Amino acid sequence: MTSARTSGVTDPVTEDGEDAPDLLKDGPQEEMAGQPAKPFGIMGWLRWCWRQLTSMRTALVLLFLLAVASVPGSMLPQNGTDPVKVQQYIGQHPLLGPLLNRLSFFDVFAAPWFAAIYLLLFTSLAGCVLPRAFRLAVSAQAKPPAAPRHPARLPFGTAYRTALDPPEALAAATGLLSGKGFRLRAGGGWVSAEKGYLRETGNLLFHIALLALLAAIGLGAVFGYKADILLTEGDGFANTVAAYDQYHPGRAVAPGDLQPFTVWLDRFDASYVQSGPLRGEPSSFAASLRYQAQPSGPMRRYDLQVNHPLNVDGAKVYLIGHGYAPQFRIIDGHGHVALQQAVPFLPTGDTADTSEGVIKVPDAQPEQLGFIGVFLPTEVAFGGQLSSAFPAALHPAVSLVSYAGNLGLDAGPPQSVYQLQTSGMRRLPIAPQPLFPGQSIKLPNGAGTVTFTGYRQWISLQVTYDPGRVPALISAIVAIFGLLVSFLVRRRRLFVRVRPAGASADGVAGDGVAGGGVAGDGVAGGGVAGGGAEVEFGGLARSDVAGGFEEEFAALTEALRAAHGGAQPAAPGPPVAPDESAMTSEDRK
Amino acid sequence: MSSHRPARAAVLAVAAALAVITGLALSGCAAGQAVQNGPGSGDTNYVGGAVGVTDYRAGHRPTAPPVAGPALTGQRVSLSGYRGKVVVLNFWASWCGPCRSEAPVLAQLSRTYQGRGAQFIGVNIKDLGQANGAAYERSFGITYPSLYDPAGQVLLAFRDTVPPAAIPSTLVIDRTGHIAARIIGAVEYSSLNSLLGKLTAPAGSSPGVSSG
Repeated sequence: MTSARTSGVTDPVTEDGEDAPDLLKDGPQEEMAGQPAKPFGIMGWLRWCWRQLTSMRTALVLLFLLAVASVPGSMLPQNGTDPVKVQQYIGQHPLLGPLLNRLSFFDVFAAPWFAAIYLLLFTSLAGCVLPRAFRLAVSAQAKPPAAPRHPARLPFGTAYRTALDPPEALAAATGLLSGKGFRLRAGGGWVSAEKGYLRETGNLLFHIALLALLAAIGLGAVFGYKADILLTEGDGFANTVAAYDQYHPGRAVAPGDLQPFTVWLDRFDASYVQSGPLRGEPSSFAASLRYQAQPSGPMRRYDLQVNHPLNVDGAKVYLIGHGYAPQFRIIDGHGHVALQQAVPFLPTGDTADTSEGVIKVPDAQPEQLGFIGVFLPTEVAFGGQLSSAFPAALHPAVSLVSYAGNLGLDAGPPQSVYQLQTSGMRRLPIAPQPLFPGQSIKLPNGAGTVTFTGYRQWISLQVTYDPGRVPALISAIVAIFGLLVSFLVRRRRLFVRVRPAGASADGVAGDGVAGGGVAGDGVAGGGVAGGGAEVEFGGLARSDVAGGFEEEFAALTEALRAAHGGAQPAAPGPPVAPDESAMTSEDRK
Repeated sequence: MSSHRPARAAVLAVAAALAVITGLALSGCAAGQAVQNGPGSGDTNYVGGAVGVTDYRAGHRPTAPPVAGPALTGQRVSLSGYRGKVVVLNFWASWCGPCRSEAPVLAQLSRTYQGRGAQFIGVNIKDLGQANGAAYERSFGITYPSLYDPAGQVLLAFRDTVPPAAIPSTLVIDRTGHIAARIIGAVEYSSLNSLLGKLTAPAGSSPGVSSG
């Protein structure tokens, strides 16, 4: 990434120096290339490494790497979101699983290699942006370079004659340009003007915003948390670690940092399209919540909907799923109520919300009981086959397979609440039959009675707290804004040189510029005797990305002529053919 | 930085887009994950914790918050009603395996220390029915009261002191109402027994007596 630019900072003060080569060069140079032939010492190598790291190419490669590195995070199960699935995956892939595990592929966003990419990118951007910011600060104070000897030869240029005295003409030009918001620098007989510093500012803003975006994301990862919970109608939960089904804290989050709110679910309403081709598709979900921001705070209500999270002290509660929880009352063989609750069943994924679940009755006497069940919101029997016809609970039914024996729960290992370990159990000989609300089945051998008492609905909630969210949004907006500014604003310079009429015929006509453009010399000699000035006006746009400089230059020429007392059509000549050498190599880059 | 200006600008635009995309991936757009998250067949339904015992030295013990509420059996239980006794506060759920494995230990120790200055109190959390908790107590012969706390209000009360960050969790509160120990995961007979032995020892020899 070394540039071919070898010239140092041109000294803009040498008024009559080289004509154009560095006209559009920034005041302070981007110190890139240089220092070629020195032998590489350790410092040299370090310097070289730093240059490589902070180059745009490296930053881009790192950015791509970051994107690529997050791919396994969505392809493979992650410990952060589903540790049980990770274990299953490792079990199913005895060769690949442990290897991936060792390489942190199940914890992508916490993996050392991910952090390495992230930190390198951060360093790279910082190393690129900070010196740039410094350079901009310097260049913001820099004045435009001196005017070339013949501004009219610039890509945009014109020359004409005015009746005003040279000092007056110069003063008029200065006044005009300064009135248009140009930054000016004046010398004997010339004035240079520059505009469009915003371009660099926008560029810089973009880079700094990128840096801020990364920092904001890091902030969220360190100080934020994410948690999931399933909540049944009539139930509530407090925002505490132990209340959650899953909990993923940032590195710096302690259990005591969680906002002390409590949320209760009063009811959940789902409506579905009743007819037409979309029949059965959900049309709206709404959960009526009550919540307290603090234990003794006032009770408030909130109507929770998809993508309209409840915000409590910065923590956002999202509605992310729903399902049915059939209610059971199970009397054990000793005549005691061993279980009475709504048991959340998980949707199987069909359009009619057929749901599956298990009921574990660890406290049934004399034997533990277990059931594998299917909940059908709208039960239809089709040739002896039970199925659900519609996702709303129009005709709810459950079908159970019953087991008795040892649930394997008392030994201590954690179990999925949605799976029954039947290895220690035997299936009870009851023909499966649909149960409707209020109906019971009697288990054989006096093992007990199961009653399907009705159903409730559950919702799953995700609680996220991400202090980096707003800063990240602002950073992204600023980045886009900065990018737009750097696209739309162009940096351009204008030069005016005024000579007493007839003073520099050689200069103007000199060098036999193509077509002998400035042809007014003869006129100058005879026309306005005893005064007047020749005005050369030229301009350069730094980049041709954002067009329109032509119009601007034309308008300015118009205005300048007006300020100089109207056009004296004597001298204009066509703008000199664009002189490639005047558009310096810098500008063409 | 010798590239062509427009090219660089385009490259920057790509970079911006990428940064935003990666940003989203990193920050985990909550709404976007709606489909994958939520309950799954692998759910244990509770947050397990790093199992272990944390002791708090006398003089550095956080004050236990006032906790009161209805018990599973219906009567009202208040932590402050047991001031002067060592209190073992055990957070449990009837469906939770580790809770069930530690229940016999708690039942036994609660009987051992019944006349010796220690009171056991359960807190039944994350259980969707009161009958389940009652059946659990019946199964394990638990005679001490348990607060019924389905919405986790007791958990919340301990937020500013020693959050019981997993199920099961056990807090041991000394005679002056200060938290002397926290046990995450199933308690072991020997460790809880020795802890209670120390805390219930006569005032003079007990490290458990602290002022305030």
